[in-house]
Amino acid sequence: MLYFEKRQSVPQHFKIIIPIISLLIGLAIGAISVAIAGINPIDVYGGILSNAFGSWYAFSETLVAATPLILITAGLIVVFKMNIWNIGAYGQYIMGAIFSSYFALFASNGLSKPMMICVMVISSMVGGAIWALIPTLLKIFWEVNEVITTLLLNYIALYILKFLMYGPWKNPASYGFPLSKTFPQTAILPVLFKDTRLTIGIIFALISVFIVWFLIKKSKFGYEIRVIGDNPLAARYAGISVNRDIIIGMAISGALAGLAGMTEVSGIVHYLQVKIGADYGYTAIIVAWIAYLDPLVTILASILFGGLASGGYSLQITMRVSYGIVGLIESITLFSLVGAQIFLNYKLRWKNGSP
Amino acid sequence: MVHHSIYISLLANTIKAGTILLFPTIGEIFSERAGILNLGVEGMMLVGAFIGFIVSYITKNPYLGFIAGVIAGGIASLIHAFISITLRGNQIVSGLALTIFGGGFTTFYGQKWINMTLNNTLPIIKIPILNKIPYIGPIFFNQDLIVYLSYITVFVMWFILYRTTTGLNLRAVGENAKAANAMGISVYKVRYIWTFFGGLLAGAGGAYLTTSYAPFWLDSITAGRGWIAIALVIFAMWDPLKALFGAYLFGGINALQFQLQATGTTIPSAILNMLPYIGTFIVITISSIIVKTKHIKPPKELGIPYIREEK
Repeated sequence: MLYFEKRQSVPQHFKIIIPIISLLIGLAIGAISVAIAGINPIDVYGGILSNAFGSWYAFSETLVAATPLILITAGLIVVFKMNIWNIGAYGQYIMGAIFSSYFALFASNGLSKPMMICVMVISSMVGGAIWALIPTLLKIFWEVNEVITTLLLNYIALYILKFLMYGPWKNPASYGFPLSKTFPQTAILPVLFKDTRLTIGIIFALISVFIVWFLIKKSKFGYEIRVIGDNPLAARYAGISVNRDIIIGMAISGALAGLAGMTEVSGIVHYLQVKIGADYGYTAIIVAWIAYLDPLVTILASILFGGLASGGYSLQITMRVSYGIVGLIESITLFSLVGAQIFLNYKLRWKNGSP
Repeated sequence: MVHHSIYISLLANTIKAGTILLFPTIGEIFSERAGILNLGVEGMMLVGAFIGFIVSYITKNPYLGFIAGVIAGGIASLIHAFISITLRGNQIVSGLALTIFGGGFTTFYGQKWINMTLNNTLPIIKIPILNKIPYIGPIFFNQDLIVYLSYITVFVMWFILYRTTTGLNLRAVGENAKAANAMGISVYKVRYIWTFFGGLLAGAGGAYLTTSYAPFWLDSITAGRGWIAIALVIFAMWDPLKALFGAYLFGGINALQFQLQATGTTIPSAILNMLPYIGTFIVITISSIIVKTKHIKPPKELGIPYIREEK
């Protein structure tokens, strides 16, 4: 029968092969699911591909979707390396959007554009970080499971947003739609290329990845979080302040998710509304995993999954194929990725009789 | 008397809404007792809710729909079982993948079912004699068959956990898999069975939602109830009997929310809809403090894959 035998060393090229095969399995099962629904998978994937990478405008839209993904993933890497599970990026993203929108809507008088953007960037990061620190402190003091609390805070943030959009922040001229007034010109991120929606938000994202890369690879903090991830008890004995590092990591993670929320409202939507990119927080978890928590690789992975999201979204409008297909492909890819981890440390062997 | 009937209908609805949470909570308790953390409850509930809905709709028989939803939840759990037991994968990530899967699968296939409504929901079956007891009768014994099934499930599962060899073996596997293996218990088999059981019950919670409490189809119709159930496992301290109180407490919040919305209130609906999540947040924080201060331990090897030594 089949059994697993321990490997002497981890084959490094598997870290390239496994993500590629996982994505292919995800796409294959996605194709079968589409075919079962009576739709031609070639049409669907052709549609996603051309809507994601088929023209300069399509590719710019892919980069628009990749921007929040890059930012959120960069933050998630920092905490995932410590085995701290921030599932609350969506809520932190919303909080970032709310905090920065407050200044755009109610405190923009007399501020120049650069000043306004600065205020919004900082406030969004503070908003996201606060939302991430609530569950962090509960975890540190009372060991409250952060997976559940960060996730619950996603729902709470969403209902705070809904409360504002249907209530105090609602645009009286919106005919009952749950959205705020449009931001003043000073609160809108400049576009990088004419006739696209790509803003300097992507530059914020690239700078953030570089800072995270530097932190992880070149700083003492980066060394410490690796030790904490390997063995928190040993880290404590080695004199590392584990709690302090968890707080710093979660603050970074929340701040970057908050900034992602700001780039979305200030760069893309130009007002606050109930629907602001719901899936980025969860997709980022997959992006982080498929990149093996390597900050630079996440840029590539974000573009790939940004393309899937942007292509899938266009498909829903043009072909009326449900956006659910994107979640389906993403989840199967993640399953394959987690399931295949075992091949890094074990090989599959065949033995006659029972082992 | 008019006032009384309002409270009684509120409490009867509390039991209904609580049942949606009770099944998945019991299921997750057993999965975790065997050492498998399954964060895919929300996804399994969604799959159960969707399959339960469409089978009820097509066959016009809510019982068949419910059974189909239960089985669908069980099948969904097997993906997680295979990855976390056989392949020893990270249970947190695999569970999240299952939640994303449930959302993607039901959104994709559910597109053409959106806003459809069931005409045949689970019928009320009054229990003779018992339903005549003042207050208790109309609240507990004027319900549908699945609610009665949930009462039986709680007590049977409590009995199995604490009073049978099956329960003893199950707890041994979650506490110390190596020792359990040495005692001749098949760790893999026990974990597969109870993870599958957890899936069946998550499916039951979802299917009960769409065949009784909310008999229509919408994207993400479970609305985070799977996560509330996972939090209730900690509230219940892994004890099926205590899960009963937690599930009905949150069922009560749900029912109250519904009643307030129906009767018209000045409280904004966003605030009302936020209540269950705030409530869960407070409850999990307090429960965690109690667990920590009273030194109640979760199953010791929860989330840790078991690797049998090769000879």
